[in-house]
Amino acid sequence: MTALRTTPDRPEPLRRRRAGRRLELFWGAVFLAPVLVSLVVLRIVPAVGAISASLYKAFPGGIIPATYAGLQNYRSLFGDPNFNDTIVRTIVFNLIINPLQILVALLVAVLFVQRIPLVGLWRTLLFVPVTVPVVGSCIAWGAALNPEGPVNAIISALGGKPQPFFTSPGQALACIMVIASWIGIGYWMLFLVSGLQAIPEELYDAAKIDRAGPVRTFINITIPMLRRPLLFVLVADTVANFVLFVPVQLLTGGGPQSSTTLLMFEAYRTSYAYGSRNLGAAQVVLLTAIMLFFVLLQFRLLREEGES
Amino acid sequence: MTTAPINVPVGGPAGEARRRGIGSRPMVTALLTAVAVVVSAAFILPAAWILIGSFRPTDDILSSMSPLSWQLFVPSHVTLDNYSRLLVDSGFSRALLNSAFVCIASVLIGLLVSAMAAYTLAVFRFPGRNLVFALVVISFMVPFEAIAIPLSQQFISWGLGNSLVGLILPGIGNGLAVFNLRQYFLGIPTSYREAAMLDGASEPRILFLLYLRISGPALTNSAVLIFLGQWTAYLWPLLVISNTRLQLAPVALASTFGERSADYGQNFAGTVLLALVPAVSMLVLQRFFGRLSLTSGEK
Repeated sequence: MTALRTTPDRPEPLRRRRAGRRLELFWGAVFLAPVLVSLVVLRIVPAVGAISASLYKAFPGGIIPATYAGLQNYRSLFGDPNFNDTIVRTIVFNLIINPLQILVALLVAVLFVQRIPLVGLWRTLLFVPVTVPVVGSCIAWGAALNPEGPVNAIISALGGKPQPFFTSPGQALACIMVIASWIGIGYWMLFLVSGLQAIPEELYDAAKIDRAGPVRTFINITIPMLRRPLLFVLVADTVANFVLFVPVQLLTGGGPQSSTTLLMFEAYRTSYAYGSRNLGAAQVVLLTAIMLFFVLLQFRLLREEGES
Repeated sequence: MTTAPINVPVGGPAGEARRRGIGSRPMVTALLTAVAVVVSAAFILPAAWILIGSFRPTDDILSSMSPLSWQLFVPSHVTLDNYSRLLVDSGFSRALLNSAFVCIASVLIGLLVSAMAAYTLAVFRFPGRNLVFALVVISFMVPFEAIAIPLSQQFISWGLGNSLVGLILPGIGNGLAVFNLRQYFLGIPTSYREAAMLDGASEPRILFLLYLRISGPALTNSAVLIFLGQWTAYLWPLLVISNTRLQLAPVALASTFGERSADYGQNFAGTVLLALVPAVSMLVLQRFFGRLSLTSGEK
């Protein structure tokens, strides 16, 4: 714009432009300030606070100021066999539930992009559980899995033996997986359906010309083309399940016999019910570290596969 | 990076079934349909049981649970008693009002904060812009639950425990809303802004009277994201609120469920009331949710 102007006019727009630039910086700072402040207050302060609190030791509810204790909190956590069991339980829970949910969601998504009558209706029905708040889902399943409840009625009607569900240490965690999946599968399916629909039709036509069967087409075209949405849902699902809290708190309280004590619930209980703020902070730090490890691992595995 | 705004078809979910089927023979179609019906039934029946149960007396729910009969889904008589007892006699209507207030305040403040940040990150050029954007989006992607316990202790020490402000604040920072609005703003031609500047409009005027006015879909999506986050929040209100008069609906519902004599009718009615708002908004925005994975991956 300024290039066309004649020489006498030049200083004027230049000055105006510089003023405009300064004004832009001013408004930029004003507009960004709230989000940056909330970022610091809501994320960075508690994260740093948790790490530093985990390095101190205090008596619950005491008046004595906390003293620096280095890694002592972590040492005492890892010296406690119950806590080690909780970590192992949390990891095993995630190693089972995440692949399982994503696999079922993928199968359902593939089914729901086929040419079948009323496919939109089936898809919507599967999505309904997602819209029920988790508290509601837990109430529903808590009632349904009551030993005298309808699920056992169905099992009996089919000739099976009634199951103890939440009252048995061997089944309670599996019941929590059922609840989490009832909510989760419809949600992750939706992302995968969008991913499947974004795959160009020509690739399937080419596969048809090459006479590739459905299984080969699925492995050679669908899966590679779906890598990005798959990575997204796997990571998001992993994160969601590592911090799974409501079913444990509402339905089992970590029992029976600690069989459903997951790390998130344990950190809550240590911080609030037992009032050990510093030990709870150490558990939160460990939970976050383990979760990040699995997220990064998934990124690495799925990314590298994509590049080769 | 995509510059096109995320467009949301606000139509029904009835999607176009694509012709990439395993086969088109009638037998295969019939088989696939049968599987689809069974799978959908498994997911919808528990929800249907809750919905129907909310309109029948608790005794009726309990007596029809076992052994299995058609009465599981057919009430002996229909009543609104569960709803009226829940809303009138218990403190649940108060909790619903608290929830509504917190949600609306969070949406209004959250949209303002997100839109200002998104505007800056979309139209201004300054060094480190992409870094700030990445920082905002990534740090708000860290699950809130992971940070909730230490944050709640901070909030209580700041005197924000047992206050509506303490409930609203965590809802206003939403990385997905910033991301979503920025993508939309990037799709608005820069010539609009230049023309407004020639007319002497200030930056706030351009943002509020030009950009926000034509960003309806992106604002709707972001509002729904913030709203749902607050409406379904459970852990946070549990941590910072101990005064039952200030409690939010999900925790209030959970506390009635925890009591010894399970009043299923009332619990189910509460579940239905709580699910109503998310159900409507999410069913409308199904496609948008599905597409998030595609756009957010294209960095």
